[in-house]
Amino acid sequence: MTQTAEQQKHTSTGQDVLVVDGLVRRFGDLTAVADVSFRIAPGETYGLLGPNGAGKTTTISMIAGLLEADEGSVTVVGQPMGPTKVAPKRHLGLVPQDLAIYPDLSARENLTFFGRLQGLSGGGLRARVAEVLELTGLTDRAKGPTKEFSGGMKRRLNIGIGLLHQPTLLILDEPTVGVDPQSRNAILESVENLSGEGMAVLYTTHYMEEAERLCDRIGIIDSGTLQAEGTRDELIRLIGGVDNIQLTAAGDTEAAAEALRALPPVARVDADRGRLQLTVHDAPTAVAQIVTTATASGLQLSDVQISRPNLESVFLHLTGKALRD
Amino acid sequence: MGQLITLLRTDLVQRLRDKSVIIFAVIVPMALMGAMNLVMGDAMDMELETATVAVSAPEGDQLAAALVQSLPEIGLDVEVTETGAKDVQARAESGDARLALVIPDGFSAALMAGEPVEVTAIRGDGAGLESSVVLAVVQGFLDRAGASAVATAAGAALGLPPAQLGGLAQQVATGDSAITLVSGETSDEQLDPKGALVAGQAGLFLMFTVSFGVLGLLAERELGTLSRLRSMPMNPVLVVLSKVLSSFVLGVVATSILLTAGGLLFGVDFGSPVPVAALIVCAVIATTSLTFIVIKLAKTSEQASIIQTILAMVLGIAGGAFFPMSGGGLLGTILDLNPVAAMIRGLGITSGGGGLGDIVTPVLIMLGFAAVALLIARVVPDRGAMA
Ligand SMILES: Nc1ncnc2c1ncn2[C@@H]1O[C@H](COP(=O)(O)OP(=O)(O)OP(=O)(O)O)[C@@H](O)[C@H]1O
Ligand SMILES: [Mg+2]
Repeated sequence: MTQTAEQQKHTSTGQDVLVVDGLVRRFGDLTAVADVSFRIAPGETYGLLGPNGAGKTTTISMIAGLLEADEGSVTVVGQPMGPTKVAPKRHLGLVPQDLAIYPDLSARENLTFFGRLQGLSGGGLRARVAEVLELTGLTDRAKGPTKEFSGGMKRRLNIGIGLLHQPTLLILDEPTVGVDPQSRNAILESVENLSGEGMAVLYTTHYMEEAERLCDRIGIIDSGTLQAEGTRDELIRLIGGVDNIQLTAAGDTEAAAEALRALPPVARVDADRGRLQLTVHDAPTAVAQIVTTATASGLQLSDVQISRPNLESVFLHLTGKALRD
Repeated sequence: MGQLITLLRTDLVQRLRDKSVIIFAVIVPMALMGAMNLVMGDAMDMELETATVAVSAPEGDQLAAALVQSLPEIGLDVEVTETGAKDVQARAESGDARLALVIPDGFSAALMAGEPVEVTAIRGDGAGLESSVVLAVVQGFLDRAGASAVATAAGAALGLPPAQLGGLAQQVATGDSAITLVSGETSDEQLDPKGALVAGQAGLFLMFTVSFGVLGLLAERELGTLSRLRSMPMNPVLVVLSKVLSSFVLGVVATSILLTAGGLLFGVDFGSPVPVAALIVCAVIATTSLTFIVIKLAKTSEQASIIQTILAMVLGIAGGAFFPMSGGGLLGTILDLNPVAAMIRGLGITSGGGGLGDIVTPVLIMLGFAAVALLIARVVPDRGAMA
């Protein structure tokens, strides 16, 4: 969560890029999505974080107009979305979870084909195709059939097609699954860049590190329900989030504990034979003061460890289960 | 419109890059035509045997002349030699003619008076099916002339046993022959066996060729590109439409190639290009319309392949792709309403010189078939690719 995004969210006077209101979708007896609502402001990156089968793809399918919602509505740049709607789809770029490229066509042909369907043509289309090939690092491989691509190259092309027409809202459904760490980092970087250029992004993942790194706001979804929503810090505060600092030391731990309890950021100290457990607010800023105080009270520190609650702990707290099994 | 063209072009490019279309739509049927031609070649040639007929007719007898003239027009290859009564018998004995006919003096007068007329028929050595057909036509002519005519077979000179003679006489007399009387009109509409082979295989494989469109749609689903297409700013119907159009284009091109190449290889002339083109287009419309039903039913490309293969075999075989099929009553009507059969029949008409006006019936059958298929496709619940 960056300060600017927070401001953006709250000061945004413009229309929201996406309004999702009370979405429900059932498959037979199974309710895949049960009452999901959220909004995305222009330029905002919103993360849907949830485990396998949580309903992320189903939600996105309704947002992108691939699937009819049983209840609720989706509004994209002020226009109601649905499978037969045309106008709102112009504002969307979809990067489906599963690869959606033609194996017998080259990268350039794939891009050109989808670009035409998006309404690009002529020199504008050619220029965008070249840009996206460059962006995805596929310029050298633009000509061969994509069935000869490596998995990572296919993924990059899959993403490139989604942003070809510079959509107002880019939807990425778990774009880094099955990608090596290097490509993964490249993907995350390009999402950050796009967001920096003002594109709104809806990003689903079950990797909490990705959600933390990319997203201005995060919706935690499980069993088709949005369990909680907010910035990373808001979510952590939601579960009464406080940080932990663990000191390993020789010396009079009891006396040091006494001195540390007097510090304002410190909520609680437990001393236990050469080890001190501190519960503090905002560990990164408090740690220096804590170390100074401990040393001053005669402790010889051999180790300092900071642990902060993350979205994983939030998820565990909300659902009683781990994000990934 | 621009989007539809974009979709169609990409569909066609992909179908062509994936060689299976070319193999299934053109190469396999051509190979099959060649193989079947080799296997059935002899049988075909036997059927094509020329009926050599020697006739003696009274000078200046109008009806006799008309009868003689009608013989070469019965649809078989008939070689008629007119000569004197004595020579006729000699020709039959020597085997120069397989059938000899002696039309008596006063033939016209007797017929018009309603008196019995005896036309003498002599079957020579090796007289086969074609001679029987000629005899039946003679009988038919006599019947049409309104006389209670009796034809007597006098083959004693050739050493035919009396029982057979009697049978032949009766057969000719009553017209109750073992073989079906082929009227001049119908035989004009029939393709020769090689033409039927080429047309039949083209019709059968058309069913397979058009199935590539539906398979393309299911492939899109399996590739995941269908989701992406449906997220594009266009009417989702365009996706299906493009698949159907690509089936149509492939069907027209493949059938045109098969009929042209098959015609050249086997020496078949299907007639003038415009009505033949009309038949091809209608046949492709009819078979393509079936794919709308398959789109609704098939969930996977395997299912689609199976459904299409069943349809192709049923319609292809019933339509006479391998051997001529015929039947009476309801069955006959059902067989007649088959688009493959209608196309073969239509090509028979065009090969006999028929123009656009003559192929109205097969054209209507094929378009009607398409209309019914589309209607069924509308009511079938969507369980397939687009569900
Ligand atoms: N077409 C469908 N028919 C029946 N059930 C479905 C269908 N699509 C999804 N589901 C079910 O709906 C639930 C939510 O699926 P969904 O794909 O939305 O989950 P997800 O959050 O995207 O999971 P993942 O992280 O594995 O992609 C799952 O239980 C899934 O089995
Ligand atoms: Mg998913």
